[in-house]
Amino acid sequence: MPGPLALAIWYIGIVLEIAFVVCSIARKSFFRYLFLNTYFLLGLGSDAGRYFFLSKFGLDSTEYRYAYFYTDALLTLALYVALISLYVRVFGELRLNNFVRFAAVLLLLGTALFSYAVVVQSEQRLVTTFAYELSQNLYFVGLVLTYILWGAVLKLRETRTRVVQFILSLGLYFSAYAACYALGNISSRHVAVQYMSGAIGCLLPLTWTFTMLRHTEESRLEPARLLAVAR
Amino acid sequence: MSRKLAALALVLAILVCSMGLKTALSSGNTGSAVMLANGPAPAPPDLPTKPRK
Repeated sequence: MPGPLALAIWYIGIVLEIAFVVCSIARKSFFRYLFLNTYFLLGLGSDAGRYFFLSKFGLDSTEYRYAYFYTDALLTLALYVALISLYVRVFGELRLNNFVRFAAVLLLLGTALFSYAVVVQSEQRLVTTFAYELSQNLYFVGLVLTYILWGAVLKLRETRTRVVQFILSLGLYFSAYAACYALGNISSRHVAVQYMSGAIGCLLPLTWTFTMLRHTEESRLEPARLLAVAR
Repeated sequence: MSRKLAALALVLAILVCSMGLKTALSSGNTGSAVMLANGPAPAPPDLPTKPRK
């Protein structure tokens, strides 16, 4: 089993994921942000499955590794869909929904194809390596997409507080993971990097729950004038 | 048709940016597995290496 700090971070993360879903139901926004809620519900299911394998077989077991990486690929796909749902929300007024959906599917296929091309000659189990590679690549695609979406929010002068804060939180989350990835590449066995990854995992449910609690659907926010792009 | 081509160009540009960023961030890789993962669960040391029988 992992240390008490890692377990504490995990439990806090689970509580925050539950809190987001409960807050959306209480605020009657569950179906409005269905894909965001689906991501956390899948996260909770993954946590249950991971906990089962972790407690039964241990952290270093092959079973836990398989459970971890397959659920991670599933969660990354769910997060990608959640991000696209925010795109649809932002570009909805421009009637670009079909274009966004088409581009999203094309991008997902392109990423899958690229990941397959990378792992096809791997000596390891192909499906596992593919799931891992796809998950990692989708992270970086998500990171770039989030920054593009933030640019669109500024350009279109999006004012819905919840949407703006969801996007900003997502940008923070992806950026923190990217920083963790870079740090891990320099020193992957450093203890701080392992705890950082778990702590960053708590960041998204924390900020989204805060947004859901603090702001209503009618709340409006204007991005700072300095950041706004002149038309 | 032009919309589809625009989508394709956009997708390729995003893919190139993303993979370029990934490569740039992993340029100091020491060879050991480094992962990004969803959620706060403790990450296993690395990928499973041997196929199951």
